[in-house]
Amino acid sequence: MKLKEFSKSLLARNELGTILPMALLLIVVGFVNPGFFAANNILDILRTASFAFIIAVPITFLMAGGGMDLSIGAATSFGGVICAFALKAGMPVSIAIMMALLGGALIGVFNGLIIVRFALPAFIATLGVQYAINGIIAITTKNLAISGFSSAFKVLGQGKLFGSISYPILYALVIGILGHVVLTRTKYGRSVLAIGGNAETAYLSGINVRGKQISIYIATSVFAALSGVLQAARFASAQPAAGSGTELTIMAAVIIGGTSMFGGTGTVFGSALGCILLATITNALIVMNVSTFWQNLIFGVILIAAIFIDKYRRRASGGE
Amino acid sequence: MEYLLEMKHVTKRFPGVVALNDVSIGLRKGEILAICGENGAGKSTLMKVLSGSYASHEYEGEIWVDGKKSDFTSVATAEHHGIEMVYQEMNMMLDASVAENIFVGHLPGRLGGVNYRKLYADTQTILTEIGLPIKPKAKVRGLNSGQLQMLSIMRAISRKPRIMVLDEPTSALTDQEVNLLMDHMQRLRDSGVSLLFITHKLEEIYRIADRVLVMRDGQVISCRNVAEVDQKSLIEEMVGRKIENLYPKKKAQIGDEVLKVEHLSVPHPTIKGKNIVEDFSFSLRQGEILGIGGLVGAGRSETLGAIFGQITNGVQMKLTAFGKEVAIRCPGDAIRAGIGFVTEERKKSGFVWVLSIRENITLASLPHLPGRYFIDRKVERRKAKGMSDRLRIKAPSIETRIVNLSGGNQQKVVLGKWLLEEPRILLIDEPTKGIDVGAKAEIYSIMSELTGTGVSIIMVSSDMPELVSMSDRCIVLSGGKLTGAFEGEAITQANVMRAAIAQ
Repeated sequence: MKLKEFSKSLLARNELGTILPMALLLIVVGFVNPGFFAANNILDILRTASFAFIIAVPITFLMAGGGMDLSIGAATSFGGVICAFALKAGMPVSIAIMMALLGGALIGVFNGLIIVRFALPAFIATLGVQYAINGIIAITTKNLAISGFSSAFKVLGQGKLFGSISYPILYALVIGILGHVVLTRTKYGRSVLAIGGNAETAYLSGINVRGKQISIYIATSVFAALSGVLQAARFASAQPAAGSGTELTIMAAVIIGGTSMFGGTGTVFGSALGCILLATITNALIVMNVSTFWQNLIFGVILIAAIFIDKYRRRASGGE
Repeated sequence: MEYLLEMKHVTKRFPGVVALNDVSIGLRKGEILAICGENGAGKSTLMKVLSGSYASHEYEGEIWVDGKKSDFTSVATAEHHGIEMVYQEMNMMLDASVAENIFVGHLPGRLGGVNYRKLYADTQTILTEIGLPIKPKAKVRGLNSGQLQMLSIMRAISRKPRIMVLDEPTSALTDQEVNLLMDHMQRLRDSGVSLLFITHKLEEIYRIADRVLVMRDGQVISCRNVAEVDQKSLIEEMVGRKIENLYPKKKAQIGDEVLKVEHLSVPHPTIKGKNIVEDFSFSLRQGEILGIGGLVGAGRSETLGAIFGQITNGVQMKLTAFGKEVAIRCPGDAIRAGIGFVTEERKKSGFVWVLSIRENITLASLPHLPGRYFIDRKVERRKAKGMSDRLRIKAPSIETRIVNLSGGNQQKVVLGKWLLEEPRILLIDEPTKGIDVGAKAEIYSIMSELTGTGVSIIMVSSDMPELVSMSDRCIVLSGGKLTGAFEGEAITQANVMRAAIAQ
């Protein structure tokens, strides 16, 4: 009886989509190459996941609130490039980072206005923004990476606590905990879930729907830019294409983590698992000596499975 | 063979409701049979049976055409018999031409090609016949909704039907278009087509119908020659239901005026240049239940929507709440003025289905929970539990998702959402729509209790007994205009119905 209830409550968890494939993956990869479980390798996976997770936190809010954003990859590259230009111009690290975040905020304001205020479809509108931002980056950098940063900047991405835990993991941890608290404990978080669940009801209950939606778009782009800055520090160079392609994998990670793509439900914890799962797959394929070309196929299958679970769960709980 | 089309003892059940109860109707060749009745009398269900939208195994009873029993398995059966439906909602391809819209599915031509010359010529013939001054090649997007309605009628006519069923075809039309339509309906009848004409407008019934059939609560009440029926008996037959007072309203202390709405005009949601509410003024006093009666589409829900800030585009009104003039730009403004709004569509605009009872109940009062940013979970739980107990919401716990509740309990949660905000004025649109008898009585008792504490309620209701027994005062809208105001003993079903079909 107890076991039945336990399995039932497990099935009801939104994060289920990550736990099963993760367990399966760990068993398989453990057999093929036990070296996978070395502490260094695990920390490496977590560091890779951190860059994505920093963006996945606001994306969890965005999708739980019923929105989507395809421009985050471009915002990531944009943040790194702005920061690099500012550093090259001799500005102090703190100012350079502020400028990058401000650049991200501008993208967010623009996204928020065209999607929320002028009601353009988010999918196409942010796709357009993605192209435009990538265009600006290509024009200004001539598609060349910018490098040669001071160690004061590089340490932000390369430094390690106790000589083993990378700083980005710590940033991700802090941002994740903050995100979790805001989503589950605050009036803001509750409003976001209500908007994603039923924007009309939320509006008629007196919630400032547009303001909240715009604020999430801004936060999303700011955190994307931050991730871009950290990646530039980590690799000691700002790549014009640092974030390209990540918009889909990050949204996939969030959906796999149990955030409904129809809005209304989502957890930051689930998104963390989703990011770790995707980073683990990439790493496991390398460790097992499998061509990385398999990676996209596996991502795709897991994403489709996650959407199936999302859909099934919604039907089972009475929605459509 | 007396009848071209006959429905024999048709009964259609939905869970908990009998929409059609042993309905028998006969339609003669070359006649116009008008069908009238209140909202929810069963007219739409009747249309769906006739159109084949419900397959024959989904209801009891038989349909006979040309004296032979026919098995209506799908929409194709109805089309095969030459039955054409004209619905109120119009499905048009907005970027195609008038001609293409009329002949869609039956375009002239061979081998997949379209003979455009014939298409335009045939269209022009129909347009001329009816007398509508539009061009066959015109894009449909540019037409107004009256012309669109005429187009859907022409679409039916172009298929040369033997039987046409029209569902309130004149509600979107101008007077001139109504004349064109009536004339053409008479021509169709004279050429041997039979028409089933659903309408609320007595004037139209007397103008063109041969016989009139009254429906009420899914039953046929009468079917007589129009010449033998007077208006008074027609109205009485439409509303003549016995009022069972499930929960007599306690008399509340009626106080001073708390809300005054002056010169309210709301633009029609789909028809450009037309108002769905036109220069409507009324007031509400403390502790009273003001009922608003009228037919669907009379502008009642739009009135509530405008007061609450749900509808703001193009709305004109002067609203005075508790002696102060208030500008309503969004629902937040109305809430701050002490107003709450229980909408008609619970699922669409009343609750958030992914959230729990607790989260739904505290949704409107989130800003007033203690704490600036954080939700004090203890206080929230206590408040939600208190409200849930007060309204006797039946659920395993307040953490239960609202979708898992019955309609009545969902409605109580939506009510609770507003009561927690302690409004002084409550707008309720169809308070007991789709909920069972027991829950109905409980909702009525809650409303009575509220007015006892000085809350004022504006209630829109299509449920006649509810409107008559719960209202302290009742005003009636018809075609967006105020057509009746009754108080006390004068609130009767017949009075309300007469005012509701006035326009």
